[in-house]
Amino acid sequence: MLVGGLVLAGVAAPALLSPYLRSLALAILADVVLAVSWSLFSGPTRYLSLATGAFWGAGAYLTAVVGGRAPWPVPVLLGGAVGAGIALMVGGLALRLRGPYFAIFTFGLAELAKHALIWYETGVTGTVGRLLLTQPRPATLYYTVLALAALAVTTAVLLRRSRWGYALVAIGGDEERAETLGINTMAVKIATFALSAAFMGAAGAAMAPRWTYLDPQVFNPLVSFQTVIMALLGGVGTVAGPIVGAVFLGLASELLLLNFRYVYLLGLGLTLIVVVLALPSGLAGLWTIMLSRRQQEHRGA
Amino acid sequence: MQPALLLDLVVGGLITGGLYALVALGLNLQYGLMRVLNVAHGEFLMLGGYLTYTLHTSWGVNPLLTVLVTGPAAFGAGLGLHRLLYARVLEAGESAEALEARSLLLSFGLLFVLQNAALLLWSADLRGYSYLAVPLRFLGAVFPANRVLAAAVALFLSVAFYLFLKRSLAGKAIRALMQDPEGAQLVGVDLRRTHARCFGVGVAMATVAGSLVSMLFELTPFIGLPYTVTALVVVILGGLGNLLGSLVAALILGLVETFSVHLAASDIRLIASYAVLSLILILKPSGLLGR
Repeated sequence: MLVGGLVLAGVAAPALLSPYLRSLALAILADVVLAVSWSLFSGPTRYLSLATGAFWGAGAYLTAVVGGRAPWPVPVLLGGAVGAGIALMVGGLALRLRGPYFAIFTFGLAELAKHALIWYETGVTGTVGRLLLTQPRPATLYYTVLALAALAVTTAVLLRRSRWGYALVAIGGDEERAETLGINTMAVKIATFALSAAFMGAAGAAMAPRWTYLDPQVFNPLVSFQTVIMALLGGVGTVAGPIVGAVFLGLASELLLLNFRYVYLLGLGLTLIVVVLALPSGLAGLWTIMLSRRQQEHRGA
Repeated sequence: MQPALLLDLVVGGLITGGLYALVALGLNLQYGLMRVLNVAHGEFLMLGGYLTYTLHTSWGVNPLLTVLVTGPAAFGAGLGLHRLLYARVLEAGESAEALEARSLLLSFGLLFVLQNAALLLWSADLRGYSYLAVPLRFLGAVFPANRVLAAAVALFLSVAFYLFLKRSLAGKAIRALMQDPEGAQLVGVDLRRTHARCFGVGVAMATVAGSLVSMLFELTPFIGLPYTVTALVVVILGGLGNLLGSLVAALILGLVETFSVHLAASDIRLIASYAVLSLILILKPSGLLGR
Protein backbone atom coordinates (compact mmCIF):
# COMPACT_ATOMS: atom_id res chain seq x y z
CA MET A 1 0.00 0.00 0.00
CA LEU A 2 2.86 2.30 0.88
CA VAL A 3 4.43 1.59 -2.50
CA GLY A 4 1.13 2.26 -4.28
CA GLY A 5 0.74 5.56 -2.46
CA LEU A 6 4.28 6.61 -3.38
CA VAL A 7 3.73 5.76 -7.04
CA LEU A 8 0.42 7.67 -7.07
CA ALA A 9 2.04 10.69 -5.44
CA GLY A 10 4.92 10.52 -7.90
CA VAL A 11 2.62 10.40 -10.91
CA ALA A 12 0.29 13.14 -9.67
CA ALA A 13 3.10 15.45 -8.51
CA PRO A 14 3.59 17.63 -11.64
CA ALA A 15 -0.09 18.61 -11.64
CA LEU A 16 -0.11 19.51 -7.95
CA LEU A 17 3.28 21.07 -7.32
CA SER A 18 4.56 24.57 -8.05
CA PRO A 19 7.37 24.76 -10.64
CA TYR A 20 9.96 25.14 -7.88
CA LEU A 21 8.78 22.09 -5.95
CA ARG A 22 8.52 20.10 -9.15
CA SER A 23 12.11 20.88 -10.01
CA LEU A 24 13.10 19.91 -6.46
CA ALA A 25 11.23 16.60 -6.87
CA LEU A 26 13.00 16.08 -10.20
CA ALA A 27 16.43 16.56 -8.61
CA ILE A 28 15.62 14.17 -5.78
CA LEU A 29 14.33 11.54 -8.21
CA ALA A 30 17.60 11.78 -10.14
CA ASP A 31 19.47 11.30 -6.86
CA VAL A 32 17.33 8.24 -6.16
CA VAL A 33 18.33 6.77 -9.54
CA LEU A 34 22.02 7.36 -8.79
CA ALA A 35 21.97 6.05 -5.21
CA VAL A 36 19.89 2.97 -6.04
CA SER A 37 21.91 2.05 -9.11
CA TRP A 38 25.20 2.62 -7.23
CA SER A 39 24.02 0.27 -4.47
CA LEU A 40 22.99 -2.26 -7.10
CA PHE A 41 26.65 -3.01 -7.77
CA SER A 42 28.70 -1.55 -4.92
CA GLY A 43 26.30 -2.59 -2.14
CA PRO A 44 26.58 -6.39 -2.29
CA THR A 45 30.04 -6.64 -3.91
CA ARG A 46 31.66 -3.97 -1.69
CA TYR A 47 33.59 -2.60 -4.65
CA LEU A 48 33.69 1.11 -3.84
CA SER A 49 33.05 2.79 -7.20
CA LEU A 50 33.82 6.49 -7.63
CA ALA A 51 33.02 6.44 -11.34
CA THR A 52 29.41 7.65 -10.96
CA GLY A 53 30.37 11.17 -12.02
CA ALA A 54 31.96 9.82 -15.21
CA PHE A 55 28.89 7.86 -16.32
CA TRP A 56 26.57 10.70 -15.34
CA GLY A 57 28.80 13.21 -17.15
CA ALA A 58 29.01 11.06 -20.28
CA GLY A 59 25.23 10.84 -20.44
CA ALA A 60 24.75 14.55 -19.87
CA TYR A 61 27.40 15.51 -22.40
CA LEU A 62 25.85 13.18 -24.93
CA THR A 63 22.51 14.98 -24.63
CA ALA A 64 24.34 18.27 -25.15
CA VAL A 65 26.10 17.00 -28.27
CA VAL A 66 23.04 15.31 -29.78
CA GLY A 67 21.03 18.38 -28.81
CA GLY A 68 17.75 18.86 -30.59
CA ARG A 69 18.67 16.57 -33.46
CA ALA A 70 16.97 13.53 -31.93
CA PRO A 71 13.42 13.25 -30.54
CA TRP A 72 13.24 13.21 -26.73
CA PRO A 73 13.60 9.80 -25.23
CA VAL A 74 16.40 8.97 -27.69
CA PRO A 75 19.16 10.91 -25.85
CA VAL A 76 18.19 9.14 -22.60
CA LEU A 77 18.42 5.71 -24.22
CA LEU A 78 21.71 6.68 -25.85
CA GLY A 79 22.98 7.98 -22.50
CA GLY A 80 22.22 4.62 -20.92
CA ALA A 81 23.95 2.83 -23.78
CA VAL A 82 27.03 5.06 -23.48
CA GLY A 83 27.22 4.54 -19.70
CA ALA A 84 26.97 0.78 -20.11
CA GLY A 85 29.44 0.84 -23.00
CA ILE A 86 32.11 2.69 -21.00
CA ALA A 87 31.55 0.36 -18.05
CA LEU A 88 31.97 -2.69 -20.28
CA MET A 89 35.17 -1.26 -21.76
CA VAL A 90 36.89 -0.34 -18.50
CA GLY A 91 35.20 -2.96 -16.32
CA GLY A 92 37.40 -5.80 -17.50
CA LEU A 93 40.49 -3.89 -16.38
CA ALA A 94 39.15 -2.05 -13.35
CA LEU A 95 37.38 -5.00 -11.75
CA ARG A 96 40.61 -6.95 -11.44
CA LEU A 97 41.59 -4.43 -8.77
CA ARG A 98 40.36 -4.72 -5.22
CA GLY A 99 39.98 -2.48 -2.21
CA PRO A 100 41.32 1.07 -2.37
CA TYR A 101 42.99 0.38 -5.73
CA PHE A 102 39.59 0.02 -7.37
CA ALA A 103 38.28 3.18 -5.71
CA ILE A 104 41.33 5.23 -6.71
CA PHE A 105 41.27 3.83 -10.24
CA THR A 106 37.62 4.73 -10.81
CA PHE A 107 38.22 8.18 -9.36
CA GLY A 108 41.26 8.68 -11.59
CA LEU A 109 39.29 7.49 -14.59
CA ALA A 110 36.57 10.10 -14.09
CA GLU A 111 39.17 12.87 -13.72
CA LEU A 112 41.08 11.57 -16.75
CA ALA A 113 37.89 11.65 -18.83
CA LYS A 114 37.16 15.20 -17.72
CA HIS A 115 40.62 16.59 -18.42
CA ALA A 116 40.88 14.75 -21.74
CA LEU A 117 37.51 16.19 -22.78
CA ILE A 118 38.54 19.72 -21.76
CA TRP A 119 41.76 19.30 -23.73
CA TYR A 120 39.88 17.95 -26.75
CA GLU A 121 37.20 20.63 -26.69
CA THR A 122 39.61 23.56 -26.34
CA GLY A 123 42.31 22.15 -28.60
CA VAL A 124 40.38 20.43 -31.38
CA THR A 125 36.82 21.73 -31.56
CA GLY A 126 37.67 25.14 -30.10
CA THR A 127 34.71 25.28 -27.70
CA VAL A 128 34.65 25.00 -23.93
CA GLY A 129 31.00 24.15 -23.64
CA ARG A 130 27.78 23.54 -25.44
CA LEU A 131 24.41 25.25 -25.43
CA LEU A 132 21.22 23.26 -25.09
CA LEU A 133 18.62 25.28 -26.92
CA THR A 134 15.73 22.90 -27.56
CA GLN A 135 14.34 21.38 -24.43
CA PRO A 136 11.52 18.95 -23.70
CA ARG A 137 8.58 20.17 -21.63
CA PRO A 138 9.12 20.13 -17.84
CA ALA A 139 6.42 17.48 -17.35
CA THR A 140 8.06 15.24 -19.98
CA LEU A 141 11.39 15.60 -18.18
CA TYR A 142 9.78 14.78 -14.86
CA TYR A 143 8.06 11.64 -16.09
CA THR A 144 11.26 10.47 -17.80
CA VAL A 145 13.22 10.65 -14.56
CA LEU A 146 10.31 9.18 -12.58
CA ALA A 147 10.25 6.22 -14.97
CA LEU A 148 14.01 5.80 -14.58
CA ALA A 149 13.71 5.84 -10.80
CA ALA A 150 10.87 3.28 -10.87
CA LEU A 151 12.89 1.10 -13.23
CA ALA A 152 15.99 1.32 -11.03
CA VAL A 153 14.07 0.42 -7.87
CA THR A 154 12.28 -2.47 -9.60
CA THR A 155 15.59 -3.77 -10.92
CA ALA A 156 17.10 -3.55 -7.44
CA VAL A 157 14.18 -5.46 -5.88
CA LEU A 158 14.21 -8.18 -8.55
CA LEU A 159 18.01 -8.50 -8.52
CA ARG A 160 18.16 -9.06 -4.77
CA ARG A 161 15.95 -12.13 -5.01
CA SER A 162 17.60 -13.64 -8.07
CA ARG A 163 20.50 -16.08 -8.41
CA TRP A 164 22.42 -13.19 -9.89
CA GLY A 165 21.85 -11.18 -6.70
CA TYR A 166 23.06 -14.03 -4.50
CA ALA A 167 26.14 -14.34 -6.70
CA LEU A 168 26.90 -10.66 -6.06
CA VAL A 169 26.56 -11.13 -2.30
CA ALA A 170 28.87 -14.15 -2.52
CA ILE A 171 31.46 -12.06 -4.37
CA GLY A 172 31.28 -9.42 -1.64
CA GLY A 173 31.72 -12.07 1.05
CA ASP A 174 34.65 -14.00 -0.40
CA GLU A 175 35.43 -13.67 -4.06
CA GLU A 176 37.72 -16.68 -4.32
CA ARG A 177 35.20 -18.95 -2.66
CA ALA A 178 32.48 -17.67 -4.97
CA GLU A 179 34.70 -18.51 -7.92
CA THR A 180 35.25 -22.02 -6.54
CA LEU A 181 31.51 -22.47 -6.14
CA GLY A 182 31.19 -22.09 -9.90
CA ILE A 183 30.24 -18.44 -10.21
CA ASN A 184 31.84 -16.70 -13.18
CA THR A 185 32.74 -13.76 -10.93
CA MET A 186 34.28 -11.57 -13.66
CA ALA A 187 31.20 -11.85 -15.91
CA VAL A 188 28.80 -11.18 -13.03
CA LYS A 189 30.83 -8.17 -11.85
CA ILE A 190 31.17 -6.62 -15.31
CA ALA A 191 27.51 -7.16 -16.19
CA THR A 192 26.30 -5.59 -12.94
CA PHE A 193 28.78 -2.72 -13.19
CA ALA A 194 27.46 -2.02 -16.71
CA LEU A 195 23.83 -2.30 -15.61
CA SER A 196 24.38 0.23 -12.85
CA ALA A 197 26.33 2.50 -15.23
CA ALA A 198 23.46 2.36 -17.75
CA PHE A 199 21.13 3.91 -15.16
CA MET A 200 23.72 6.56 -14.27
CA GLY A 201 24.28 7.48 -17.91
CA ALA A 202 20.56 7.64 -18.59
CA ALA A 203 20.01 9.81 -15.51
CA GLY A 204 22.75 12.21 -16.66
CA ALA A 205 21.24 12.38 -20.13
CA ALA A 206 17.76 12.99 -18.75
CA MET A 207 18.89 15.72 -16.36
CA ALA A 208 21.08 17.59 -18.87
CA PRO A 209 18.25 19.80 -20.21
CA ARG A 210 17.99 21.29 -16.72
CA TRP A 211 21.04 23.36 -17.58
CA THR A 212 21.04 25.37 -20.75
CA TYR A 213 24.82 25.36 -20.88
CA LEU A 214 27.07 22.34 -20.39
CA ASP A 215 30.84 22.09 -20.20
CA PRO A 216 33.21 19.21 -19.28
CA GLN A 217 32.93 20.20 -15.60
CA VAL A 218 29.74 18.10 -15.66
CA PHE A 219 32.14 15.18 -15.06
CA ASN A 220 31.92 16.25 -11.46
CA PRO A 221 33.66 14.17 -8.77
CA LEU A 222 31.14 15.64 -6.32
CA VAL A 223 28.42 13.58 -8.03
CA SER A 224 30.45 10.43 -7.33
CA PHE A 225 30.98 11.29 -3.67
CA GLN A 226 27.46 12.51 -3.08
CA THR A 227 26.11 9.24 -4.46
CA VAL A 228 28.34 7.16 -2.18
CA ILE A 229 27.34 9.23 0.84
CA MET A 230 23.63 9.01 0.00
CA ALA A 231 23.79 5.24 -0.33
CA LEU A 232 25.86 4.72 2.82
CA LEU A 233 23.83 7.19 4.86
CA GLY A 234 20.63 5.38 3.96
CA GLY A 235 22.27 1.97 4.20
CA VAL A 236 23.10 -0.34 1.31
CA GLY A 237 21.72 -3.43 3.03
CA THR A 238 18.16 -2.70 1.88
CA VAL A 239 16.54 -1.28 -1.25
CA ALA A 240 14.82 1.40 0.83
CA GLY A 241 18.14 2.59 2.34
CA PRO A 242 19.60 4.38 -0.71
CA ILE A 243 16.17 5.94 -1.41
CA VAL A 244 16.00 7.35 2.11
CA GLY A 245 19.56 8.64 1.80
CA ALA A 246 18.88 10.22 -1.59
CA VAL A 247 15.75 12.01 -0.40
CA PHE A 248 17.53 13.24 2.73
CA LEU A 249 20.70 14.50 1.05
CA GLY A 250 18.84 15.58 -2.09
CA LEU A 251 16.72 17.92 0.03
CA ALA A 252 19.76 19.16 1.95
CA SER A 253 21.79 19.84 -1.17
CA GLU A 254 18.93 21.62 -2.91
CA LEU A 255 18.32 23.86 0.09
CA LEU A 256 21.94 24.54 0.99
CA LEU A 257 24.18 24.04 -2.04
CA LEU A 258 23.37 27.33 -3.78
CA ASN A 259 23.45 29.69 -0.82
CA PHE A 260 25.71 27.94 1.67
CA ARG A 261 27.90 25.90 -0.63
CA TYR A 262 30.91 25.50 1.66
CA VAL A 263 28.82 24.83 4.75
CA TYR A 264 26.91 22.15 2.87
CA LEU A 265 30.04 20.45 1.56
CA LEU A 266 31.65 20.61 5.00
CA GLY A 267 28.52 19.00 6.43
CA LEU A 268 28.69 16.35 3.72
CA GLY A 269 32.20 15.43 4.84
CA LEU A 270 31.13 15.30 8.49
CA THR A 271 28.14 13.14 7.55
CA LEU A 272 30.42 10.68 5.82
CA ILE A 273 32.72 10.50 8.84
CA VAL A 274 29.83 9.98 11.27
CA VAL A 275 28.22 7.33 9.07
CA VAL A 276 31.49 5.40 8.76
CA LEU A 277 32.22 5.56 12.48
CA ALA A 278 28.79 5.26 14.06
CA LEU A 279 26.22 4.10 11.52
CA PRO A 280 27.76 1.24 9.54
CA SER A 281 24.38 0.04 8.29
CA GLY A 282 22.98 3.52 7.67
CA LEU A 283 19.69 5.13 8.65
CA ALA A 284 17.77 2.07 7.44
CA GLY A 285 19.88 -0.08 9.75
CA LEU A 286 19.12 2.26 12.63
CA TRP A 287 15.42 1.84 11.91
CA THR A 288 15.74 -1.96 12.02
CA ILE A 289 17.63 -1.78 15.31
CA MET A 290 14.95 0.44 16.83
CA LEU A 291 12.19 -1.90 15.64
CA SER A 292 13.83 -4.98 17.11
CA ARG A 293 14.41 -3.14 20.39
CA ARG A 294 10.79 -2.20 20.60
CA GLN A 295 9.77 -5.78 19.92
CA GLN A 296 12.06 -6.95 22.68
CA GLU A 297 10.50 -4.45 25.08
CA HIS A 298 7.04 -5.73 24.15
CA ARG A 299 8.11 -9.25 24.75
CA GLY A 300 9.61 -8.27 28.08
CA ALA A 301 6.42 -6.49 29.21
CA MET B 1 70.04 20.08 -26.37
CA GLN B 2 72.44 22.65 -24.96
CA PRO B 3 74.25 21.73 -21.75
CA ALA B 4 72.94 24.80 -19.95
CA LEU B 5 69.35 23.95 -20.84
CA LEU B 6 69.88 20.32 -19.88
CA LEU B 7 71.28 21.35 -16.50
CA ASP B 8 68.37 23.74 -16.13
CA LEU B 9 65.86 20.95 -16.70
CA VAL B 10 67.65 18.38 -14.55
CA VAL B 11 68.01 20.66 -11.55
CA GLY B 12 64.47 21.93 -12.09
CA GLY B 13 63.22 18.36 -12.12
CA LEU B 14 65.11 17.47 -8.96
CA ILE B 15 63.67 20.55 -7.23
CA THR B 16 60.13 19.49 -8.13
CA GLY B 17 60.94 15.89 -7.22
CA GLY B 18 62.31 16.88 -3.81
CA LEU B 19 58.98 18.41 -2.83
CA TYR B 20 57.10 15.40 -4.19
CA ALA B 21 59.32 13.11 -2.14
CA LEU B 22 58.38 14.78 1.13
CA VAL B 23 54.66 14.72 0.29
CA ALA B 24 54.73 11.11 -0.90
CA LEU B 25 56.78 9.79 2.02
CA GLY B 26 54.11 10.89 4.49
CA LEU B 27 51.35 9.26 2.46
CA ASN B 28 53.31 6.05 2.06
CA LEU B 29 54.19 5.88 5.75
CA GLN B 30 50.50 6.05 6.65
CA TYR B 31 49.51 3.43 4.12
CA GLY B 32 52.42 1.09 4.65
CA LEU B 33 51.97 1.03 8.40
CA MET B 34 48.23 1.18 9.00
CA ARG B 35 46.57 0.63 5.62
CA VAL B 36 45.12 4.13 5.69
CA LEU B 37 45.07 5.57 2.18
CA ASN B 38 44.78 9.16 3.26
CA VAL B 39 43.30 11.06 0.31
CA ALA B 40 43.09 14.14 2.55
CA HIS B 41 46.90 14.25 2.55
CA GLY B 42 47.07 17.13 0.09
CA GLU B 43 44.60 19.11 2.22
CA PHE B 44 47.15 19.18 5.04
CA LEU B 45 49.66 20.55 2.54
CA MET B 46 47.15 23.25 1.64
CA LEU B 47 46.54 24.07 5.33
CA GLY B 48 50.29 24.24 5.95
CA GLY B 49 50.57 26.75 3.13
CA TYR B 50 47.81 28.93 4.58
CA LEU B 51 49.24 28.71 8.08
CA THR B 52 52.62 29.93 6.83
CA TYR B 53 50.92 32.60 4.73
CA THR B 54 49.00 33.87 7.77
CA LEU B 55 52.02 33.78 10.10
CA HIS B 56 54.17 35.58 7.53
CA THR B 57 51.73 38.27 6.41
CA SER B 58 50.11 38.96 9.81
CA TRP B 59 53.06 38.65 12.16
CA GLY B 60 55.99 38.96 9.79
CA VAL B 61 57.47 35.60 10.73
CA ASN B 62 60.15 34.36 8.33
CA PRO B 63 58.41 31.74 6.10
CA LEU B 64 61.17 29.20 6.58
CA LEU B 65 60.96 29.49 10.38
CA THR B 66 57.19 28.92 10.32
CA VAL B 67 58.07 25.28 9.69
CA LEU B 68 58.97 25.12 13.38
CA VAL B 69 55.33 25.97 14.14
CA THR B 70 53.45 24.21 11.35
CA GLY B 71 55.34 20.92 11.73
CA PRO B 72 54.67 20.37 15.47
CA ALA B 73 51.10 21.74 15.18
CA ALA B 74 50.38 19.27 12.37
CA PHE B 75 51.94 16.44 14.37
CA GLY B 76 49.57 17.21 17.24
CA ALA B 77 46.60 17.44 14.90
CA GLY B 78 47.61 14.11 13.39
CA LEU B 79 47.72 12.46 16.82
CA GLY B 80 44.25 13.82 17.56
CA LEU B 81 42.80 12.71 14.23
CA HIS B 82 44.27 9.27 14.61
CA ARG B 83 42.73 8.85 18.03
CA LEU B 84 39.39 10.35 17.03
CA LEU B 85 38.94 8.61 13.68
CA TYR B 86 41.39 6.02 12.49
CA ALA B 87 42.16 4.23 15.76
CA ARG B 88 38.45 3.47 16.15
CA VAL B 89 38.22 1.87 12.72
CA LEU B 90 41.45 -0.01 13.31
CA GLU B 91 40.28 -1.36 16.64
CA ALA B 92 36.95 -2.58 15.28
CA GLY B 93 38.96 -5.67 14.33
CA GLU B 94 37.56 -6.22 10.86
CA SER B 95 39.15 -7.85 7.83
CA ALA B 96 41.97 -5.89 6.18
CA GLU B 97 39.72 -5.19 3.22
CA ALA B 98 36.84 -3.69 5.21
CA LEU B 99 39.35 -1.69 7.22
CA GLU B 100 40.92 -0.18 4.11
CA ALA B 101 37.51 0.70 2.67
CA ARG B 102 36.35 2.39 5.85
CA SER B 103 39.52 4.38 6.41
CA LEU B 104 39.44 5.47 2.76
CA LEU B 105 35.89 6.77 3.26
CA LEU B 106 36.98 8.57 6.44
CA SER B 107 39.76 10.29 4.50
CA PHE B 108 37.33 11.41 1.83
CA GLY B 109 35.12 12.87 4.55
CA LEU B 110 38.13 14.63 6.01
CA LEU B 111 39.02 16.03 2.58
CA PHE B 112 35.59 17.65 2.28
CA VAL B 113 35.74 19.04 5.82
CA LEU B 114 39.23 20.53 5.52
CA GLN B 115 38.85 21.98 2.04
CA ASN B 116 35.56 23.68 2.81
CA ALA B 117 36.74 24.91 6.19
CA ALA B 118 39.63 26.57 4.33
CA LEU B 119 37.18 28.06 1.83
CA LEU B 120 35.12 29.51 4.68
CA LEU B 121 38.22 30.88 6.40
CA TRP B 122 40.28 32.20 3.49
CA SER B 123 37.81 32.28 0.54
CA ALA B 124 38.67 30.99 -2.92
CA ASP B 125 40.87 34.00 -3.81
CA LEU B 126 44.53 33.51 -4.66
CA ARG B 127 46.82 34.22 -1.71
CA GLY B 128 50.54 34.61 -1.92
CA TYR B 129 53.62 36.54 -0.88
CA SER B 130 57.07 37.02 -2.28
CA TYR B 131 60.04 35.48 -0.48
CA LEU B 132 63.62 35.13 -1.68
CA ALA B 133 62.63 35.63 -5.30
CA VAL B 134 66.22 36.30 -6.29
CA PRO B 135 68.10 34.51 -9.05
CA LEU B 136 70.79 32.02 -8.12
CA ARG B 137 73.43 31.40 -10.80
CA PHE B 138 74.94 27.96 -11.09
CA LEU B 139 77.16 26.78 -13.98
CA GLY B 140 75.48 29.10 -16.44
CA ALA B 141 71.92 28.19 -15.46
CA VAL B 142 69.69 30.39 -13.30
CA PHE B 143 67.34 29.22 -10.54
CA PRO B 144 65.10 31.17 -8.17
CA ALA B 145 66.67 30.97 -4.70
CA ASN B 146 63.35 30.14 -2.99
CA ARG B 147 62.85 27.00 -5.08
CA VAL B 148 66.36 25.76 -4.39
CA LEU B 149 65.88 26.42 -0.67
CA ALA B 150 62.48 24.70 -0.54
CA ALA B 151 63.76 21.65 -2.40
CA ALA B 152 66.85 21.45 -0.21
CA VAL B 153 64.76 21.50 2.97
CA ALA B 154 62.32 18.94 1.57
CA LEU B 155 65.07 16.58 0.43
CA PHE B 156 66.94 17.00 3.72
CA LEU B 157 63.82 16.05 5.71
CA SER B 158 63.05 13.11 3.42
CA VAL B 159 66.54 11.66 3.63
CA ALA B 160 66.71 12.33 7.37
CA PHE B 161 63.48 10.44 7.92
CA TYR B 162 64.67 7.59 5.77
CA LEU B 163 67.90 7.34 7.78
CA PHE B 164 65.89 7.52 11.00
CA LEU B 165 63.89 4.52 9.83
CA LYS B 166 67.00 2.60 8.83
CA ARG B 167 69.33 3.44 11.70
CA SER B 168 67.41 4.18 14.89
CA LEU B 169 65.71 1.74 17.24
CA ALA B 170 62.37 3.55 16.88
CA GLY B 171 62.73 3.31 13.13
CA LYS B 172 63.43 -0.37 13.43
CA ALA B 173 60.24 -0.78 15.47
CA ILE B 174 58.25 0.97 12.74
CA ARG B 175 59.73 -1.25 10.05
CA ALA B 176 59.02 -4.31 12.16
CA LEU B 177 55.37 -3.29 12.48
CA MET B 178 55.16 -2.85 8.70
CA GLN B 179 56.55 -6.31 8.06
CA ASP B 180 54.83 -8.30 10.76
CA PRO B 181 52.44 -6.54 13.15
CA GLU B 182 51.96 -9.56 15.41
CA GLY B 183 55.62 -10.43 15.68
CA ALA B 184 56.55 -6.82 16.40
CA GLN B 185 53.98 -6.64 19.19
CA LEU B 186 55.31 -9.88 20.65
CA VAL B 187 58.73 -8.29 21.10
CA GLY B 188 57.19 -5.28 22.80
CA VAL B 189 56.44 -2.68 20.12
CA ASP B 190 53.46 -0.57 21.16
CA LEU B 191 51.21 -0.77 18.10
CA ARG B 192 48.77 1.93 19.05
CA ARG B 193 51.35 4.50 20.08
CA THR B 194 53.52 3.86 17.02
CA HIS B 195 50.53 4.15 14.70
CA ALA B 196 49.46 7.43 16.25
CA ARG B 197 52.95 8.91 16.04
CA CYS B 198 53.50 7.80 12.48
CA PHE B 199 50.16 9.21 11.43
CA GLY B 200 51.22 12.47 13.07
CA VAL B 201 54.57 12.41 11.28
CA GLY B 202 52.80 11.79 7.95
CA VAL B 203 50.49 14.76 8.49
CA ALA B 204 53.45 16.90 9.58
CA MET B 205 55.37 16.04 6.41
CA ALA B 206 52.49 17.18 4.21
CA THR B 207 52.03 20.35 6.25
CA VAL B 208 55.72 21.27 6.17
CA ALA B 209 55.73 20.64 2.42
CA GLY B 210 52.79 23.05 2.25
CA SER B 211 54.77 25.70 4.14
CA LEU B 212 57.53 25.29 1.56
CA VAL B 213 55.09 25.35 -1.38
CA SER B 214 53.62 28.65 -0.14
CA MET B 215 57.03 30.27 -0.67
CA LEU B 216 56.89 29.32 -4.36
CA PHE B 217 53.31 29.43 -5.61
CA GLU B 218 50.08 31.26 -4.84
CA LEU B 219 47.57 29.37 -2.71
CA THR B 220 43.94 28.44 -3.16
CA PRO B 221 41.97 25.94 -1.05
CA PHE B 222 41.96 23.67 -4.11
CA ILE B 223 45.71 23.03 -4.42
CA GLY B 224 45.55 19.96 -2.18
CA LEU B 225 43.99 17.35 -4.45
CA PRO B 226 46.53 17.63 -7.32
CA TYR B 227 49.31 17.05 -4.78
CA THR B 228 47.45 14.04 -3.38
CA VAL B 229 47.17 12.61 -6.89
CA THR B 230 50.86 13.23 -7.56
CA ALA B 231 51.75 11.62 -4.25
CA LEU B 232 49.55 8.64 -5.11
CA VAL B 233 51.32 8.28 -8.44
CA VAL B 234 54.68 8.40 -6.68
CA VAL B 235 53.65 5.95 -3.97
CA ILE B 236 52.16 3.48 -6.43
CA LEU B 237 55.15 3.91 -8.77
CA GLY B 238 57.56 3.15 -5.96
CA GLY B 239 55.38 0.47 -4.39
CA LEU B 240 52.95 0.85 -1.49
CA GLY B 241 54.83 0.57 1.78
CA ASN B 242 58.22 0.91 0.07
CA LEU B 243 59.67 4.20 1.35
CA LEU B 244 62.95 4.13 -0.58
CA GLY B 245 60.89 3.39 -3.69
CA SER B 246 58.88 6.56 -3.04
CA LEU B 247 62.02 8.64 -2.68
CA VAL B 248 63.42 7.42 -6.01
CA ALA B 249 60.05 7.55 -7.79
CA ALA B 250 59.46 11.15 -6.64
CA LEU B 251 62.74 12.31 -8.18
CA ILE B 252 62.03 10.39 -11.40
CA LEU B 253 58.53 11.85 -11.63
CA GLY B 254 59.90 15.36 -11.02
CA LEU B 255 62.36 14.92 -13.89
CA VAL B 256 59.80 13.38 -16.25
CA GLU B 257 57.36 16.18 -15.53
CA THR B 258 59.86 18.98 -16.04
CA PHE B 259 61.02 17.51 -19.33
CA SER B 260 57.52 16.80 -20.64
CA VAL B 261 56.30 20.29 -19.76
CA HIS B 262 59.34 21.69 -21.58
CA LEU B 263 58.81 19.47 -24.62
CA ALA B 264 55.01 19.49 -24.83
CA ALA B 265 52.62 21.87 -23.08
CA SER B 266 51.81 22.38 -19.43
CA ASP B 267 48.09 21.64 -19.69
CA ILE B 268 48.92 18.04 -20.56
CA ARG B 269 50.40 17.54 -17.07
CA LEU B 270 47.20 16.52 -15.27
CA ILE B 271 46.12 14.23 -18.08
CA ALA B 272 49.55 12.61 -18.01
CA SER B 273 49.56 12.02 -14.25
CA TYR B 274 46.06 10.48 -14.23
CA ALA B 275 46.95 8.34 -17.24
CA VAL B 276 50.18 7.16 -15.59
CA LEU B 277 48.25 6.39 -12.40
CA SER B 278 45.66 4.30 -14.26
CA LEU B 279 48.27 2.47 -16.30
CA ILE B 280 50.42 1.48 -13.32
CA LEU B 281 47.39 0.30 -11.38
CA ILE B 282 46.42 -1.96 -14.25
CA LEU B 283 49.82 -3.18 -15.32
CA LYS B 284 51.73 -3.50 -12.07
CA PRO B 285 49.77 -2.79 -8.89
CA SER B 286 52.77 -3.73 -6.74
CA GLY B 287 54.67 -0.70 -8.08
CA LEU B 288 57.47 -0.42 -10.61
CA LEU B 289 60.09 -0.97 -7.95
CA GLY B 290 57.94 -3.39 -5.96
CA ARG B 291 58.70 -7.04 -5.41
